[in-house]
Amino acid sequence: MLLSILAAEEEAGGIAALGFDLPSLIVYLVNFTILLVVLYLFAYKPVLRIMDQRSDRIREGLETAERVRQEAAVQQVEMEKRFEEGRQEGQALLAQAREMADRYREEERGKARQEAEAFVARARDDIQRERDEAIDQVRRHFAELAILAAERVIERSLDESAHRDIIEKVLEESPSINGN
Amino acid sequence: MTPMLKRILIVFGIGVVVLLVVGFINGAIGAAFLGRDAGFLPAPHVELAPPEVFKLGGLSVTNAMLSSWVTTVVLILFFVVGTRRKAMVPKGLQNVAEWAIESLYNFVESGVGQRYGRSFFPIIATIFLFVSFNAWLALIPIYQSLWVSPDGVNKVHLLRSAGTDLNMPLAIALVSAVFVEYWGLRVHKIGYLREFVRFGTLYRGLRRFSLPEIFSGLIDIFVGFLELISHFVRIVSFTFRLFGNMTAGEIVLLISAFLISFVFTLPFYGLELLVGFIQALIFAGLTLAFVMVAVASHGDEAH
Repeated sequence: MLLSILAAEEEAGGIAALGFDLPSLIVYLVNFTILLVVLYLFAYKPVLRIMDQRSDRIREGLETAERVRQEAAVQQVEMEKRFEEGRQEGQALLAQAREMADRYREEERGKARQEAEAFVARARDDIQRERDEAIDQVRRHFAELAILAAERVIERSLDESAHRDIIEKVLEESPSINGN
Repeated sequence: MTPMLKRILIVFGIGVVVLLVVGFINGAIGAAFLGRDAGFLPAPHVELAPPEVFKLGGLSVTNAMLSSWVTTVVLILFFVVGTRRKAMVPKGLQNVAEWAIESLYNFVESGVGQRYGRSFFPIIATIFLFVSFNAWLALIPIYQSLWVSPDGVNKVHLLRSAGTDLNMPLAIALVSAVFVEYWGLRVHKIGYLREFVRFGTLYRGLRRFSLPEIFSGLIDIFVGFLELISHFVRIVSFTFRLFGNMTAGEIVLLISAFLISFVFTLPFYGLELLVGFIQALIFAGLTLAFVMVAVASHGDEAH
């Protein structure tokens, strides 16, 4: 309707001389419509979709990066916490070990001292015994020597057993030879 | 490399000057000076109505119409082939086609925002592409040199820029107008018509019987009427802006080639490339501006 009005107006105004022609106009309209539809279906729509996909992908990428960054931060905190725990645990173990070593050393030292003391005591016993024995022997030799000497002096043989009694008596009276 | 380039430039410059001189002597100006009665090219005669090239059924197909079909086919081929492969990382033709569509989309979206961008984009983009490609194709040198003789006597151009046919700009202007009014009505429903039929102020003035308000009500009615007229004037201005520019451009090229045959036309070719682009941009941009105004809230309710 609009077209016919326009056509009438323009023809009345002598615009037909400029080349106005209704069939041409319709052909151009149809032509434009076809172009619009084809370009819409085969160019605009796919390209816009691809543009959307691209921006989606970029946004996704950014989001992923952000998420990864946050996760890394969380993990770092976690790791630091775990590291701190490990450090404390290690220190506790170390302290425990040191304490155990100290105790062990004390024990060993005590044991060694006891052993040494026992050894010394035994040695002292041994020495005492050896000394007693040596004194005994010396005393015996001395007795024999004394008998021998007495025999020589009096030039007569005494009854050995009576004689020995006399010597024993002498020795016991002499404090310098007695071991006790 | 540089001396080589210099030599090429010198040879090229000499060639241009020689062609210019030969063109000057050959052309209509030279012919007039030298007393010859005709230039190298026949005197161009301008006819606004495009001549018929052949008949298709009952329809007389004009050369401008044929040219619009060529434009359509070229555009479809370019964009359909260009966007056929949908690689995530585009290259070559795909890149060019996507770049063109993306730029147009951003142009539309920067004007109306995302809400209407998707809806307005196809028409605006098609107007731009159709007008610009139509103008540019006509600048391909051989385009205007093809002849046919439909009646066996007169020779007519096979192709002629469709913009030089009044009907083509008119058709697009009508599309643009229908598009704008459709969106105005769709967004504002019947309230859109209040832009043109403004009895509200007068009615209020009559009820309160205040003379200033009656007066401004009368002015408001007149403004509404002007608004209505302006919407029709848009169609006419759209039509004649494009028609005038395209026709004038073609005449400038013909005349410049007629006056001085060679080289002289080249700057005008450059100019016409620019004009084709600018006219397409104006057509698409104005349509976008009008539709933006149409869907924008008029604030009628606030009056």
